[in-house]
Amino acid sequence: MQADEQIRDQALSWALRTGDPAFADWEAFTAWLEADPAHAAAYDAVAAAVADAAEVLAAAPANDDAPLLSVARRRWMGGAIAAALAVVALVGVLNRPGGAELYETAPGETQLIALADGSTIELAGGTVLEMPEGTSTREAVLREGQALFTIVHNDADPFVLLAGADRLVDAGTVFDVKLGQSGLTLGVSEGAVIYNPAAANLRVDAGNGLVARPGRAPVVAALAPELVGEWREGRLTFDMAPLREVAEDLTRATGIAFTARPGGRDQAISGSIVLAPVLADPRSLEGLLGVSLTRRGDGWEIAGQ
Amino acid sequence: MAHGKSGSGLEHVFLENRAALLRFLRARGAGEAAEDLVQEVWLKVANAPAGPVGAPLSYLYAVANRLMIDRYRSAHATALREREWTATQFDIATGRSDAPDAERLVAARQLAALVEQLLNDLEPPRVAQVFRRHRVDGVAQRDLAAEFGVSLSTIEADLRKAYRALNDFRAKMEVAQDEG
Repeated sequence: MQADEQIRDQALSWALRTGDPAFADWEAFTAWLEADPAHAAAYDAVAAAVADAAEVLAAAPANDDAPLLSVARRRWMGGAIAAALAVVALVGVLNRPGGAELYETAPGETQLIALADGSTIELAGGTVLEMPEGTSTREAVLREGQALFTIVHNDADPFVLLAGADRLVDAGTVFDVKLGQSGLTLGVSEGAVIYNPAAANLRVDAGNGLVARPGRAPVVAALAPELVGEWREGRLTFDMAPLREVAEDLTRATGIAFTARPGGRDQAISGSIVLAPVLADPRSLEGLLGVSLTRRGDGWEIAGQ
Repeated sequence: MAHGKSGSGLEHVFLENRAALLRFLRARGAGEAAEDLVQEVWLKVANAPAGPVGAPLSYLYAVANRLMIDRYRSAHATALREREWTATQFDIATGRSDAPDAERLVAARQLAALVEQLLNDLEPPRVAQVFRRHRVDGVAQRDLAAEFGVSLSTIEADLRKAYRALNDFRAKMEVAQDEG
């Protein structure tokens, strides 16, 4: 470990020296590299980190006046940036005074909201979420779309989410909520959520999900915790989901307009997909979900096979 | 002393020092590819826009070094090209590995914001400016000392801070990815 740090420090020094246009002592640098194969690896890591940073800075204007991390909007880019964002955005929490905050993502975008109490809400694409009393309160309203809630629990002041006509109350929780044409879907990966405490009063524990379709009684069923919020890693899993919901979810996640073929909207689709290939070529869905795609204007119409 | 291109000083320097450049590329980890890469160095130099080269041998080494850094970056693409973009079945299916341009643009802006935040958090605030002037604008360290009215060793210390922070940041991103 100590030796590693020493090598890293030396690599930093060489990266500093070799990065200067005036550097001339390439023979000494060669000798250092030849002394230990770990030297080249450490040097490459530093040089690449610096080159990456310089490249992205060069591509962006010097003083970007866009509001940055606290309300950063982004398309899906997988775990790395999400993880990095989570770290930085939490540091950059804006301690806003009370007042309604409205967050809205376009299809294909995601957004991280850091609340004053350390809780976070990650919005999937095509989502509207409101914090009626601001981000220092414990109440949010999901107007439409999908979001993953990582809530710091407080028995005395539970977090309440209103989603359509439903009321969800956390009991120490990581949960994902989706609200669309096909009703409400809830997945809990940690703790528990109480669904409509004043009416149905269903407790949904970690490892379970709840589906409430319009006009039908809500159903609680087992749900693998790793599937909760999987959209953040660019994956979607459908378990006997109606085609219209599949189309809606895909549109939300990719920003590509998918519609369900009229007449087949309630056809049940199952399957798990990675979004990257869909973004590159929507037709890849055909093999992945056993559907057929037809071009419709700027978007695609999906039909069961 | 200015050198022209092929058939002149620079080519002469390249041929004279081919063995040393090969040795450098091997020390940099080129392995079997060293012979091909030394040829690539020459092609890059020969095809670069014409212009006087003050220190031809250093120039050749710097081109070889950059070539190795870029090879490492494309092999360990962390930031701009997500591993998932290249590692999923779609690579085999379509042979494409690049995200759509718009996607990359948004990701790049996002990353720029992160990098900027990271550098801006370093003390003193000069560090971020020095890094940008050096690495983006290409100003030599000695000239930066004059520009900022500080000693050369202060500039070096500033850059070291930035390099260390970026190195740690990239390592963290890679860990995050390996876990993802």
